Amino acid sequence: MAKPLKDIIRDDPKKTLGVTPEDAKISKAYLSVAFITLLVGGLLGLVQGLERAGLLELPAWLNYYQVLTAHGILLILIFTAAFSIGYLYAGFSHTIGGLLPKVRKMAWAGFSLILVGVALVVATILMNEASVLYTFYPPLAASPVFYIGLVFVVLGIWSCALGVFINYHHWRKNHRGEVTPLFAFFTMGVFILWFFGSLGVTIEVLTLIPWSMGWKETINVMVSRTLFWSFGHTLVNVWYIIATSAWYVTIPKIIGGKIFSDKLARVVVIMLVILNIPGGFHHQIIDPGISETVKFLHVFMSVSIAFPSLMTAFAMFAVFERAGRKKGGKGLFGWFTKLPWGDVRFLAPMVAMIAFIPGGAGGLINTSNQMNQVIHNTMWVVGHFHITVGVTAVLTFFGICYWLVPYISKRQLTPQMNKLGIIQTIVWTVGMILMSGSQHMVGLLGDPRRTSYTTYGDHETALGWIPYEYVMAFGATLLLLGIIIQVYAVFNMMFLATKGESEFPIGEVEINAENTPLWTERWSLWIILLLMVVAMAYVVPIVDFVVNAPPGSPPIKTW
Amino acid sequence: MREAQEITPKNKENDKSLKGTFASVLVVAAIIVVMWAGVFLIYMDRV
Ligand code: HEM
Ligand SMILES: [Cu+2]
Repeated sequence: MAKPLKDIIRDDPKKTLGVTPEDAKISKAYLSVAFITLLVGGLLGLVQGLERAGLLELPAWLNYYQVLTAHGILLILIFTAAFSIGYLYAGFSHTIGGLLPKVRKMAWAGFSLILVGVALVVATILMNEASVLYTFYPPLAASPVFYIGLVFVVLGIWSCALGVFINYHHWRKNHRGEVTPLFAFFTMGVFILWFFGSLGVTIEVLTLIPWSMGWKETINVMVSRTLFWSFGHTLVNVWYIIATSAWYVTIPKIIGGKIFSDKLARVVVIMLVILNIPGGFHHQIIDPGISETVKFLHVFMSVSIAFPSLMTAFAMFAVFERAGRKKGGKGLFGWFTKLPWGDVRFLAPMVAMIAFIPGGAGGLINTSNQMNQVIHNTMWVVGHFHITVGVTAVLTFFGICYWLVPYISKRQLTPQMNKLGIIQTIVWTVGMILMSGSQHMVGLLGDPRRTSYTTYGDHETALGWIPYEYVMAFGATLLLLGIIIQVYAVFNMMFLATKGESEFPIGEVEINAENTPLWTERWSLWIILLLMVVAMAYVVPIVDFVVNAPPGSPPIKTW
Repeated sequence: MREAQEITPKNKENDKSLKGTFASVLVVAAIIVVMWAGVFLIYMDRV
């Protein structure tokens, strides 16, 4: 039922009056950091692509593994986190009617913490004190400053998470009996998963600090790896929920359709929050010392994540089909051509979704116990996560920018900028097909990941990889071009584009949709279930690693 | 806000149809199966 305007203004003044300037500043700051990081990280990516193909030799003061560590950390940790916070805070503020002053302060505190953390991490990498790659597996040991930097980043994210929890709680008190706006629901899901998913890795890093300082002689490598992947695996689904928030909430509006089912979207979020964390061992499938039963449990849990993903695929196809049919699409696939392909706000996330079909299928291959041995530590894995995070998550993020940045900057998306966005999307798509495609193929031929250029004494197998590596290097070049266009577009829309009001697209449900039940809001129950599932998956193996611990390892610097 | 829309019974049926969605989901399933089977065959070939 439509509320009279008077009531809307009373309940949610900020929602009616457009973006709150103080809240917009937070998002602008985070997005700026995100896209500067992307530019640097992308440049390093191109360096890697060229080096691996033997087309570029690094100077003596910079080695391949420094570049790779920086590329991994800057892009999957800093870029994604900074973007996500900027985006989620903007949408959260928009849908619940503005942030509390206290919460704004927490977002800024988080911002400072993250910046300090990044500075420490990048400095140690540059000084060649931390070539441990983004997974920082012990016994490889970095300078303690590197780990301290990571702690700062985590604290920054937690500060933002706590801010969201406080504001949600406040909103709940003033809106008894109502369900949270869908976007705010996604925001809660993301930050809860992010917070609980990062507890394990924080414990790991806190044990690595005294070890790297020499206060503690040895470290339990298996426990460390396990704590790391309880986080790494979760982070993937943090991105996934963030991307799906845009698919479920904003795309129906952008394409002139309706949300397929508000309740289904929330059930998907709840399932991902509860089921996600216990999948970590599928990254350790060939690690020794983990029983088959426990590995099987984790594999099962990680496959169970495919279920909400397939629900999402179904729901999104349904949104597209209904919207396309309303515009006159006929027959089995006629609706497909009626979608607004010329609108970057649709095209970019649409390509992102399509990329998730091979991306998700690849994930099912990786997580299949024996088949993992075909692809383990090969370039296939690199191809896999560039198509999943690099397209499904990142291209959705790029698409979001074309309405989010104008919205928070009180500017407009001009037709020229839309066109540039389309070009960007095409460049990115072609670049990734070439890079990720060749990485997948050469991985199946055995080319190892995380390895600087070598021909293994001109061994014929290794020589056979080189043509694929050329294609990879060409794709990498296109991708850097794509990044330059995107970064230009973001800062242009933030500071230079034509002034005006832009909309934050929020989809509406179908006319006869059923109401969303209030039980979906029982976060304390979802958290208890989450903790129970985590306990089920991790208590037995971790106790086993500790009780039957092999000799620990001293810190080792291999470079 | 849910806006009203005028719908004749005939195009209502077309509007509500989800057969394309069903077909699309089957296509997704086929891609998963084909990719999975492909790597499985490589695995069987190498063990
Ligand atoms: C210009 C765009 C990009 C290029 C050219 C590029 C290129 C590469 C290459 C060649 C590698 C493999 C290195 C190796 O295993 O030896 C790599 C690794 C990686 N890339 Fe990218 N990439 C790009 C963008 C991204 C983005 C946007 C993300 C994530 C948001 C990302 C995340 C990663 C991660 C996590 C690794 C693995 C690092 C490791 O194994 O330690 N990349 N990238
Ligand atoms: Cu995983």
